[in-house]
Amino acid sequence: MRTDKSRKRFVFLCVAPATILFFLFMILPTLNVFRMSLYERGAYSPNETFVGLKNFQHLLKDTQFIRSMQNMILLVVVVTIVTFAFALVFAAILTREKIKGQNFFRIIFYIPNILSVVVISGIFSAIYKPENGMLNSIIGLFRNMSDPILWKGEKLVIPSIIIAMVWQAIGYYMVMYMASMSAVPISLYESANLDGAGRLTQFFQITIPLIWTNIRTTLTFFIISTINMAFLFVKAMTSGGPNGASDVALSYMYSQKDAGLYGYSMAIGVVIFLFSFALSACVNKATSRDPLEF
Amino acid sequence: MKRISRRNFLKVAGVGAAALSLAACGGAASSTASSTASSAATSSAVAADVTIKVAAIETGYGAEMWKKVTEAFTAETGIKVELTTDKKLEDVIGPSMQGGDYPDVIHLATGREAALTEQFIKGNLIADITDVLSMTVPGESKKVSEKIAGGFTDTSLTNPYGDGKTYLAPMFYSPCGLFYNAGFLKEKGWDVPKTWDEMWALGDKAAAEGTYLFTYPTTGYFDAFFYALMYAAGGPDFFNKATHYEEGIWDTPEAKTCFDIVAKLASYTNPITPAQANDQDFTQNQQLVLDNKALFMPNGTWIVGEMAEAPRADGFEWGMTALPAVKAGGDSYSYTWFEQAWIPAGAEHLDAAKQFVAYLYSDEACKLFAESGAIQPVLGIADDLDGDNKMFYSIYDNGAKAAMGNFAAFSAIPGVEVRTVFFDPVNSLVSGSMTEQQWIDGIKSASDQMRANIIE
Repeated sequence: MRTDKSRKRFVFLCVAPATILFFLFMILPTLNVFRMSLYERGAYSPNETFVGLKNFQHLLKDTQFIRSMQNMILLVVVVTIVTFAFALVFAAILTREKIKGQNFFRIIFYIPNILSVVVISGIFSAIYKPENGMLNSIIGLFRNMSDPILWKGEKLVIPSIIIAMVWQAIGYYMVMYMASMSAVPISLYESANLDGAGRLTQFFQITIPLIWTNIRTTLTFFIISTINMAFLFVKAMTSGGPNGASDVALSYMYSQKDAGLYGYSMAIGVVIFLFSFALSACVNKATSRDPLEF
Repeated sequence: MKRISRRNFLKVAGVGAAALSLAACGGAASSTASSTASSAATSSAVAADVTIKVAAIETGYGAEMWKKVTEAFTAETGIKVELTTDKKLEDVIGPSMQGGDYPDVIHLATGREAALTEQFIKGNLIADITDVLSMTVPGESKKVSEKIAGGFTDTSLTNPYGDGKTYLAPMFYSPCGLFYNAGFLKEKGWDVPKTWDEMWALGDKAAAEGTYLFTYPTTGYFDAFFYALMYAAGGPDFFNKATHYEEGIWDTPEAKTCFDIVAKLASYTNPITPAQANDQDFTQNQQLVLDNKALFMPNGTWIVGEMAEAPRADGFEWGMTALPAVKAGGDSYSYTWFEQAWIPAGAEHLDAAKQFVAYLYSDEACKLFAESGAIQPVLGIADDLDGDNKMFYSIYDNGAKAAMGNFAAFSAIPGVEVRTVFFDPVNSLVSGSMTEQQWIDGIKSASDQMRANIIE
């Protein structure tokens, strides 16, 4: 009995620091976001007034917020689909096929992940420069560039950000998929070969089902990281411009804090929080399958 | 509420004045006298042992001048200074201020993207420094108010609540106007336009030569431009009504003139401008003027230092002009942009901080600032300038009138800010995704909300 008790105490002491820190720095601030969304105050003002759900009512009428949410959703959907497709295909090629310089490609694909977002934004800003940027210079070989393409102009700014984000994300997800793909026993592919299944069939019938749990996890990652990354990219590439065309929800939240609306920006935070949770839950539900064993 | 009451305020002011006179007598020698912490805790002893925290934004003028000025201040008064300078000052001092730890003096102008100063104004969180004006400048015999040039402490930028009290001290002023390559205009034989009609004619001539009339670094630079334009279109009376969002003001012919000029200017703007009009790429737009790809841009005198290292067209020479008159014979205006230093109401050493603010107008400080190109708004300073600065600062001697002031402060409204409503849409006007009428409609509806929330 005594040892059991002391063991319990030992376990408790081991777990306590992490739990306390987690509570202090994760749970409390999150709860505070919800609380503050019901108040109005400036970021530096000690006074706050309770306004109930007024902040949320304003949100519904704020066209700039609606546009920033639309941009965010567009980014989440497009970046996820494109990155997912590319990462999966590259991972399949690099694990299943024997090609020269396999390791070289693995490194090349992974490099963007090591770079900080600010560096990537700098690189892409240089590529997108209207006058002597790389992209316009290359296109200039084929057509007259007296009227340069404005990659960071109002019309193209979101696609431009999407390209940068996809480029940044592919390597990471590719490595995730490669890890689980290499765990699939080769014997399965060999027997499929004997049965006459082509590479595509093998990919869809063997590879995808067997790494399904991994794919589901990464889909949640996609949603959360795209929402966060979009803010970093927008902040470092365009500051939300021109005229708010590239604002995403988090950057709009940030700018509202600067406008002296702390409570209002917390309300935006709450909406983003609930949105990402709900979306992750939906995706999780929709992709739910019985796990396959091998 | 950490704002000091009126009574406390007077007490503090008295202590400050006493400290000042004593410190002035004591001179630099008493600076490290830690032994003075005896029971005879006179105000000079308080001052001598105090360390104030000064936070200053590092702009094109560099941070070195702040170091020199704070050292000179310590030598003069014995008050030690802990200096923080940073290009993104808001990010450095913001978090600790949210935790209630304020610097004693902050030099940070309004109109920045993070709008920290505006937030302090909106939240009534700035100490009243009206009494600093009647303080004697440390080490000198003149009062602060006798040194500051006329008009600088009468504007809404220093007296944001329009109650005759000064909360922000005017710092480094710069005439704003349209900057251009004087060498290029001379080479082409083009005159600097005196009216907007001449401007459009020049724009057509430039277009024939393959260059554009106009560009702008970011839409934020339209504030000085638009203020001067409002003065040029309707004079001070119209400016005051407009900046207080008077009902129906945007339907007047004067307002229409302003909108039409900006909209027309948008059609003469180098089309790549909006794609680079953000805080990361704005120097590329400035580069357009250096490369003769655009003739004019709204800017301030700091541009010379900011673009000092940039490559430029042969024969490049900086030129600056006030905004053209609306019609022949009309007034042309140049907006006087200036920065602000202020004391947070939560500052710990209010009296020492006020001394520091007063010291910023001393001959010594002005000289140190001027060495880096930062010109304090004190009387007679323009006489000693040379080079480009002499030309810039003599703009008012050459017939341009000075425009000062800004939009009245209003308590924060979700989704409504001066910059996003008035100036950011210029990007869309240039790229053609918004019409002039849509822009005006946006201003009108936002203006109604601003009027309702104006801080009296």
